[in-house]
Amino acid sequence: MNKAYFITAENLANAGFSALPDELQSAKHMIYSSPATLDFNSPGARGFGVKRAGLAIPESVMLLIAPGCCGRNTALLNEIGYHEKFFYLLLDDTDIVTGRYLKKIPQACAEILAELDYTPSAVMLCVTCVDALLGTDMERVCRSCKAETGVPAVPAYMYALTREKRIPPMGLARKSIYSLLKPQKRSSRECNILGYFSHLEDQCEIYSLLEQAGIRKVREIARCQTFAEYEEMSRANFNLVLNAEARYAAQDLQARLGIPFIELTRMYRIDKIRNQYRLLAQAIGAEFNQSSFYHSTKDLIESFRSEFGDLTFAIGESLNADSFELALALTEYGFHVAEIYGTVGERNFIYIKKLAQISPETRIYSNLSPTMMHYEQDIQIDAVIGGDAKYYHKDLPGIHFNDDIQPFGYSGVCALFTQLADAIRTFRN
Amino acid sequence: MKKLLTRMSPLAPDDSGACSVLYELGGITVICDAGGCAGNVCGFDEPRWFTKRSALFSAGLRDMDAILGRDDMLVKKLKAVCEQVSGEFTAIIGTPVPAVIATDMHALERMSEKQTGMPCIAIDTDGTSFYDKGEEKAYLRIFGTFTEEEHQPDPHKLGIIGATPLDLGIITADALRIAARKEQFTEIVTFGMDSDINEIRKAATCAEILCISPAAVPAAKLLKKKFGTPYTVGFPLIPQSIVRQAADLRAERALIIHQQFAANAVRDALPETDSVTVASWFTMLPDYMQESDFHIRDEEMLIQEAEKYDLIIADSVLKRVLRNYKGKWIDYPHFAVSGKLVSEDFYADT
Repeated sequence: MNKAYFITAENLANAGFSALPDELQSAKHMIYSSPATLDFNSPGARGFGVKRAGLAIPESVMLLIAPGCCGRNTALLNEIGYHEKFFYLLLDDTDIVTGRYLKKIPQACAEILAELDYTPSAVMLCVTCVDALLGTDMERVCRSCKAETGVPAVPAYMYALTREKRIPPMGLARKSIYSLLKPQKRSSRECNILGYFSHLEDQCEIYSLLEQAGIRKVREIARCQTFAEYEEMSRANFNLVLNAEARYAAQDLQARLGIPFIELTRMYRIDKIRNQYRLLAQAIGAEFNQSSFYHSTKDLIESFRSEFGDLTFAIGESLNADSFELALALTEYGFHVAEIYGTVGERNFIYIKKLAQISPETRIYSNLSPTMMHYEQDIQIDAVIGGDAKYYHKDLPGIHFNDDIQPFGYSGVCALFTQLADAIRTFRN
Repeated sequence: MKKLLTRMSPLAPDDSGACSVLYELGGITVICDAGGCAGNVCGFDEPRWFTKRSALFSAGLRDMDAILGRDDMLVKKLKAVCEQVSGEFTAIIGTPVPAVIATDMHALERMSEKQTGMPCIAIDTDGTSFYDKGEEKAYLRIFGTFTEEEHQPDPHKLGIIGATPLDLGIITADALRIAARKEQFTEIVTFGMDSDINEIRKAATCAEILCISPAAVPAAKLLKKKFGTPYTVGFPLIPQSIVRQAADLRAERALIIHQQFAANAVRDALPETDSVTVASWFTMLPDYMQESDFHIRDEEMLIQEAEKYDLIIADSVLKRVLRNYKGKWIDYPHFAVSGKLVSEDFYADT
């Protein structure tokens, strides 16, 4: 076979999730390092992997305890200002065989603190596949480090081997970064937004909607400049979880601090966004006046469509959206989606089923499939969305749409169409 | 503390070195990992990834694959990929995961050959050594496995071993071939860079081998033993801008940090070589060391040694380690250290 494997939405929906083709199951084949895979496997300059995410706690530093190969690409993070925050304890063969390095970790923490001209809020201890296989008790190691230095140590599990477990590494990372919050008196007028390691766009309507509901302080970890500000997160009356991978962290905060949580989903279909906000308002006993956001977003979409027509898109997965939900949204708005490069899971299969009804011929590719090294465009595509889609279609207009600052709700939809319009106009000129 | 890096990021590891050697040979290379090691290679240590296509994959191991030692699953996936992607051979690159579970790489090799019908080389890298060790192992395996005996040496052909982006900071070997050209040699092959497995097969046609890094020497010795091919060592790509800057600075004591042969070449090009020391994080072959040369053990050693010199010629990323160094500095990029390619004109006047 010298063609990239794909399956149409219709065929995939008909087969059902239980009959997913091998090519769409990462455990059944070798993994191609597409740009999307690299964002996932080699989180560097873009996005957040365990290493960068672990440093979301303000004023924290990280000690990576691993063979050199695991920390090599951290050099990419140096370029965006992290070089003062990473330290490495390199393991050799004997360390791995004997486990002797575990006893060196507290001393390494002490030496790091001596190197710094400030006392960090925490030392994140990042461990990798080696410790996953050795079954290292990191909680115990963290206790030893705190006893040695007086500074809290927190585990950051970069266990690529456990990526498809119930709680994947990024779920554990989210739990770790909130683990230093301690109980304190809560305020009914304060809440947290969990889910991302960067904050939402400043213009996101969720802030004003929550203000309408009487919430005076909305906290996000990425907006906490100091550890003291971070500690105030435990004053929240409730947590809003915007990414399912933060559910485990929210459950932990509920159990430890008694903070309940409400889960929202990032979507690009404005009717669904409106409905979700309606349900949120009900849940917190408030009313949201969201009609102006809804109508202005709707007008923007219509104006985009009247300027550019019924464009045909290709959508990747290196972007701030669920590829399949976004494809469904664009199709419902009257555009076409020729191809999606994504990872099919149980959670997004529901979108594929809906997509199959209104766009049965949409092709679904797996970015992880080795056959993607043969990918060549053989169908009309007018514009692309996603860093990986841009890689496959270098000659087409498009947007990466995967900035650190997170789009959400109506403002996310507006950002999408505004950026697309700019990119297409620039391309045409 | 030894092995604690407080100021710099880790250097290129052995699995990256092995992949770099194999990258353009036309094989199907599988990194025996969960995904992170392949991500590091394709996303960082292999600058050709986005410009030259190569069948380089991650095995996508999961915890139960490792715990239960499911080598048969790996071979099954390798067989499947061989049906989807064409290749001349397969290669399996070790990482910390097979090292921890003590995978029998030779058994994997045999199982793979049986299943795919293609020759397989397994390279027992484990991510704890530096890139040069991985390169050395890969060169030894490919020259040991694929070279053919029926070829006669061509007196005008020079073979260069050691050309990888990790060593050179460039992704094509044009500049190297130009720099290595001598009257005697009209054909120059740079094994593994701009050349495929066929050139490896015909290695016996080379009249001479030039090793441009210490990692190349064991393979050159192997070719000498197999075919009687003589070898020399050297590094033709001397960045003249560095030589000029260093000559102008007239330092009393200079330290050059790079891979040994690249550093030696710059030293040899300087007017005063006696006061110049070569050091490297990587292999230093005693036969090519001067008395003052040394291997850099760790950050602490470099900080102490650096004080003795008033000029350092090294990758500027090392300034982070030597933040209190008061002498002069000339940037001599080394991709295996900083991950930075050199500019197009860096080797222009070599």
